[in-house]
Amino acid sequence: MPRLVRLIWTLLALHLALGMIAYVHHLVTGQYVVLGWYFSALGTLFFLVMTAAECCLAIMCRSWFDSDEPMRLAWGMIACAALARFAGTILRAISDGHLPWGNWHQLSQPFGGLFVSLSQLGLVIGGPLSMAFLAVGLGRVLSIQRKFHLVESLTRGDQALLFLVLAFSFSQLAINLPLLGQHPSLGTMLLWLSDPLLSLLLIEAILVRRSVVRMGQGLVAKCWGMYVLAIVITSAGDGAIWASNLNLLPESVTALTWYIWFVAAAAFTSAPAFQLAAVALTREDGVHLLGKR
Amino acid sequence: MNLLGKWHPRFWKRTPRAAPGGDEHLEAAPASGLDDLEMRLNHWSHLWNVDSESATRTEAQQVVAERLAHLMDRCFGRHVQSSLRGKSGQISLASSTPIFTAFLGRRATRELSRRVLQDI
Repeated sequence: MPRLVRLIWTLLALHLALGMIAYVHHLVTGQYVVLGWYFSALGTLFFLVMTAAECCLAIMCRSWFDSDEPMRLAWGMIACAALARFAGTILRAISDGHLPWGNWHQLSQPFGGLFVSLSQLGLVIGGPLSMAFLAVGLGRVLSIQRKFHLVESLTRGDQALLFLVLAFSFSQLAINLPLLGQHPSLGTMLLWLSDPLLSLLLIEAILVRRSVVRMGQGLVAKCWGMYVLAIVITSAGDGAIWASNLNLLPESVTALTWYIWFVAAAAFTSAPAFQLAAVALTREDGVHLLGKR
Repeated sequence: MNLLGKWHPRFWKRTPRAAPGGDEHLEAAPASGLDDLEMRLNHWSHLWNVDSESATRTEAQQVVAERLAHLMDRCFGRHVQSSLRGKSGQISLASSTPIFTAFLGRRATRELSRRVLQDI
């Protein structure tokens, strides 16, 4: 495993270990004080570090491609997605110190005006806008993979997953569209795009996964595999928010699902780190010695 | 100093002077130099593309193929190699360069080619 990737996952492990202490305290005492402090202070800090690192690494990846190379646009879009998540986290931390992913289901209640609050603006930038950038970037990667015949046809399992994702998106749209009559804010309407965009990302992730399976276990394959992992975890987190809003999960389990987002952030950051490790491989001194007679 | 002097029409009409000594510098290069260049180009061409007409592989081609297979394995994975193998059953610089360029960039691929061909 590349050194940088190991560092990211070690940082995540340490962060989750601290989080587990806070969670155990919550279970024993029934209070949210330590847990709340952990998520608002340490959690925000973790997100800021991870998104900033992801943005810097993605920009470094982009710099390895010339302006006429298609992957330059892909990495540029991925860097924009990371920057949007970083900006969204800062806006939310500045405005009200809510949890980084926010309770957008509450904030997306219909209101007049452009944005309900600075916090909602942060959610739009860190959510749908970031997803749109990532969707364009991954779309570009898929077109390159298709050029090399790396994208395989979908299996029955993939098709079933796609059907579930699309059904969920349409159900969310069916819930939200009648609310248009109440003149919701622009921010609220933009937040409604979260689920369709996440569905699009999942579809792309499934296709990228098929190509990664076809590639093998190399560093470039792991890079795109990390994006698949991050998108799947994001979808799981989104599903957990939806389930907790419908009171389908007990309180103790709901608190546990909040940790999912840290894993997603680490996966997002690991992806460009794998790509840079692959680039570094071409510059290793040991390459020319291999196979020397 | 007249800064506008270079814009004078007189300079535009000036015809370039003939090279000193006329055509005597355009002599043909010695045949040995051309043979050497041809030999080098053929050598690189054989290293670049394993699927050349010659069925027998040289030791240098074997080394290049091993280095490429190692890099391909670490960058992409074992499965990609099979799709890039030519008629000879080996990966060549010609067959692997497009995928390396697409995913790692032109500059990294140039560096990679340099490393692969080093000491050969």
